[in-house]
Amino acid sequence: MNESTENEFSEDWAPFIVDRVEIGLFALDKEHRLLLWNQFMEKHSGKKADEVLGQVIYDCFPELPRKWLERKINSVFLLKNFAFTSWEQRPYLFQFAHNRPITGGIDFMQQNSTIMPMLGKDGGIDGVCISLFDVTDTAIATRQLNETKAALEESNNRDGLTGIYNRRYLQEHLLQEFERARRYEEGFALIMFDLDHFKKVNDNYGHLGGDAVLRAVGKRMTDLLRKSDIFGRYGGEEFMLILPGTDVVGALTLAERIRVAAESEPADWDGTPIAFTISMGISIYQPGHEKPEDLIQETDLALYHSKKSGRNRATRFDPSVHTEIG
Amino acid sequence: MSAPSLLNPDQTDALQEVTNIAMGQAGSSLASILGVFVNLSVPRIRVLDAASIGTAISDMVGRDKEITAARQSFHGTMRGEALVIYDQEGCMDLADLMGYDGQLDAAAEREILLDVSNVQVGACLGGIADLLEASLTYSAPSIMAEHIPVDRLIDPKKMTWNYALLVEVNFTLEERNFTSHMTFLMPEESIQSMGEALDKFMENF
Repeated sequence: MNESTENEFSEDWAPFIVDRVEIGLFALDKEHRLLLWNQFMEKHSGKKADEVLGQVIYDCFPELPRKWLERKINSVFLLKNFAFTSWEQRPYLFQFAHNRPITGGIDFMQQNSTIMPMLGKDGGIDGVCISLFDVTDTAIATRQLNETKAALEESNNRDGLTGIYNRRYLQEHLLQEFERARRYEEGFALIMFDLDHFKKVNDNYGHLGGDAVLRAVGKRMTDLLRKSDIFGRYGGEEFMLILPGTDVVGALTLAERIRVAAESEPADWDGTPIAFTISMGISIYQPGHEKPEDLIQETDLALYHSKKSGRNRATRFDPSVHTEIG
Repeated sequence: MSAPSLLNPDQTDALQEVTNIAMGQAGSSLASILGVFVNLSVPRIRVLDAASIGTAISDMVGRDKEITAARQSFHGTMRGEALVIYDQEGCMDLADLMGYDGQLDAAAEREILLDVSNVQVGACLGGIADLLEASLTYSAPSIMAEHIPVDRLIDPKKMTWNYALLVEVNFTLEERNFTSHMTFLMPEESIQSMGEALDKFMENF
């Protein structure tokens, strides 16, 4: 080899690199006929360049989302900009096999792609070049990470003893529901309840017995609720229920069912029945409420009234009656 | 607060002119991609310091609005980040125009958002770059925020650039429920190199 050209890039190498690079490269003319098909594309599609060059790409690969892809490629011809596809929204363009049969849990090679305009010397556009990236490993790792994150978030929202939502989650969602009610003028109901004479349960059966009652409440009430209702343990023996789109009648009906569900059957603590009842306070969102705590305050006052008037009952907050505790 | 030192009044005028022309072209390109008539507002251009960018965006979109936004990086003679901000209805009403059929799932909705953002950014920024004889490449767009109050979109404390070029363009489509707002954020040296390109543009005019 000539000494002077030893350190220079040879133009002849470019086609070699295009052909052998470990990403998919192909090019299309204005009619979307294939102009280039590199080895990566050959290897994964099982179709040789001489089989596909000159053909309209959709005829060679009927699995391509034709209508959508045509529009996308045409927009690059028109705007001379770049266009992209991402596995996160569209897992693949071509149905290529992947190399993660064991850890995968996915059907085809996950792909990102970039569509680039190929500009001629006059600045006009001669064709588009599409690079296709195998992002299967990234996709699997990201999916696992997202699943772990979701599981962590879920356990972060749960009360350890009862498995129902915890106080942090309840507060967050009460605020959300409150803001939604204010924005869309859509009411909701808030119910707070606690176990009657819970101290006596703990005194008589020990804390493990008390725990069994708390778990029974969590389980039994969950069965009575709609999917959109949010139920959790607010703290100690106090529970909160957020009921979207619920009015006074709906809230009182549910409260009665909850009361009966508690009273009708004792909790089972390893074969020992422990009878329990609950008292409730109900507050309904009104446009006059300024913050979520206003509703909590009202349920407290109503709950206090339930306790004072004999327990095992629900009281709806009434501003003319329940003014203060004591 | 504006930062007039980065672009002189002549350059600002020229940029306004270039942007007007580019947006006219962008409008007709988008119209032929979407097959409907596109209305574009006359672009409004400002160079802002980082601290006021959040407020400027809130003012542009409307306070207390809930928004969804996409971002996209561009590189080359100019570099920076483009934001496309949609109000709550977003761009789902464009699904059929972008070649989607039937029911949309969450992934398809995001893809439409990214596609529509990509063509808007490409059309507008590409038009400006063409006129300024600048070459640009683009990275894949991504979703910046979904359904958040507009004032939470940008945290000035996290802005690493001191200034931003705010090009405010509003898109609306005839008979479609669609509005978007676009802004370009560029670091100081990129605004300055754009200033030089604007000088050249004026000389040739």
